[in-house]
Amino acid sequence: MSIKVLVANRGEIACRILRACKEAGHRTVAICAPNDAGSLFTEMADHVVMLNGESIAETYLDQQQIVAAALNTGATAVHPGFGFLSERAEFANAVQAAGLTWIGPSASAIEKMGDKMTARQTMRAAGVPVIPGEEVEEDDEAMALTALREASERVGYPLLLKASSGGGGKGMRAVHAAVDFDQAAAGARREAVAAFGDGRIYIERLLSDSKHVEIQILADQHGRTIHLGERECSVQRRHQKVFEEAPGPTMTGDLREAMGQAAIAAAEAVDYVGAGTVEFLLAPSGEFFFLEMNTRIQVEHPVTELVTGVDIVREQLRIAAGEPMSCGPLMMRGHAIEVRLYAEDAANGFLPSIGPLAVFQPPEGPGVRLDTGVREGDEVTPNYDPMLAKLIVWAPSRTEALQKMRRSLDEFVVLGTTTNIEFLRDLCDAPPVVDGSTTTTTIDDVWPEGWNPPSSPALEEAALLAAASAETLGLHRTQARGPSASSNGPVSPFNTLTRRYP
Amino acid sequence: MQHTFASSDGPVEVTLSKQGDSFFLQGHELVKDTRGRLRITLQSGHVHVAHAAKVGDTWWVHINGRTFKWERIEPGSSNAQDEGGLVAPMPGKVLEVLVSEGDKVAAGAPLMVLEAMKMEHRIVASTDGTVIRVNYRAGDQVDQGASLLEVE
Repeated sequence: MSIKVLVANRGEIACRILRACKEAGHRTVAICAPNDAGSLFTEMADHVVMLNGESIAETYLDQQQIVAAALNTGATAVHPGFGFLSERAEFANAVQAAGLTWIGPSASAIEKMGDKMTARQTMRAAGVPVIPGEEVEEDDEAMALTALREASERVGYPLLLKASSGGGGKGMRAVHAAVDFDQAAAGARREAVAAFGDGRIYIERLLSDSKHVEIQILADQHGRTIHLGERECSVQRRHQKVFEEAPGPTMTGDLREAMGQAAIAAAEAVDYVGAGTVEFLLAPSGEFFFLEMNTRIQVEHPVTELVTGVDIVREQLRIAAGEPMSCGPLMMRGHAIEVRLYAEDAANGFLPSIGPLAVFQPPEGPGVRLDTGVREGDEVTPNYDPMLAKLIVWAPSRTEALQKMRRSLDEFVVLGTTTNIEFLRDLCDAPPVVDGSTTTTTIDDVWPEGWNPPSSPALEEAALLAAASAETLGLHRTQARGPSASSNGPVSPFNTLTRRYP
Repeated sequence: MQHTFASSDGPVEVTLSKQGDSFFLQGHELVKDTRGRLRITLQSGHVHVAHAAKVGDTWWVHINGRTFKWERIEPGSSNAQDEGGLVAPMPGKVLEVLVSEGDKVAAGAPLMVLEAMKMEHRIVASTDGTVIRVNYRAGDQVDQGASLLEVE
């Protein structure tokens, strides 16, 4: 069945979804804020609707404008991607109320999982283990801070403060001692109010030396709910993942089955439909605890696709159209690793950076996949998330996948904007990454004083030689790239017809 | 051929020598190949293709998985280093100003809280000193590179 899909997102994930729609033979509509005009994703859709407004709230978060764009262009379905409106139950409702198909789970499933405190309560009821902690339902600032402080004494230190509406590390604080609690709680509340308009915070015990392991699930409207195995995403900075892999390096068949069944139970507890991810903390003891469920496609979905052979976005489209999912029993093959390329200064506290992508030359070769929303010549602005691309590799074994990632990162050339490429490359040599013992604190453990690029005086001199020579040669005045047409003059391809090639 | 580049240890003077199509620096050799890419033979004998692009006054160079930035100093320009100036690392909004003019601060003390890309960033004193100027108030928008406060 052919549908017409409006993609309510931008950048890399919009490209991913628009491509999947094209492959499936579906027509597409992109929406775009004025400051995104000319972005790569806008070139991949059959129609582009320019939204009115400047801020994110006025554009990619403006539900009325987006639903109107869908109706005006004859779209029949809306894919929200991740971030933005993807986990807003009222948007799922608005889309369906307008007679459009929502490519995602029901509004009630989003609601139950989206509010992290409600999710913890739902999971407890379904028998899924949750991290020890307390929820504080209190809107008033002073009363909430008092209640949190009291709860903190019962939960014990170290602990984590998390925003009930949170995600992406926003409104989250680790607190190691009572003396820091008040400032951290006030900061977390303020960040949560700014990012989500909801300052409710809950407390979880901080489980050290744990791995972040998540289970991809798929559920169709024919009563089938399956899991697609795990991803390990322990390596994080600022509570955001940067390095993800499948299968988990320490996973066993029994544990995968136990976590998979818990994830299926979590999904079934909210009558889940579509693709989703159940996140767990895996303690060194082998115990695992429910963290949260992401009711949408996930940034790191490609590693699962590469090891299972399932096209998760295509399955989302099938499921939304009411078809049964196409995948059979779980088969995992080889090893996949993803790294997230950010425009950020890893040597300076991972501060986001901006600038032109004067050169953007990704690696190629067998087993290398790049999911990006930018190309050479684009400008990195402070308007949106600084993730430039996801680089994903597949190889028959974990060792070979790491080797392929190192090679690929060495080949990746980005000039004009500071990126974390060298940090990611160095990460591939960090002992916990090499031996698979990564935990959520790996980056801080390996670089307690912060990361700095390794010293290599010869390469630094060579770079100085390149800069000085390029200046002397006036390369910046002639820097039009692409093959030069003038080198040998035109050669007729027909001259090669009678030639024999070895 | 002489060029001057900025580095964290002060200006670096580079004097290239040229023989035929090759440039030399400290035993490393560079030849521009036909498409404007730069073929470098290190003194160790290793050969790498470097990519270079100039943005503003800064040359960005990628070689063997490493990326370096060299800001070229135009001959005759003064090297204006803003001592003690604390600048916005990126565009954003001032959430909180934690000090006032005249306050004594220790190195590492938080001075201001900025919000950018929905994350909070703390501006901290780089040295011990006295706050002599506070240029913004809570709620102000700041551009990247804006001088936020001065500590002497």
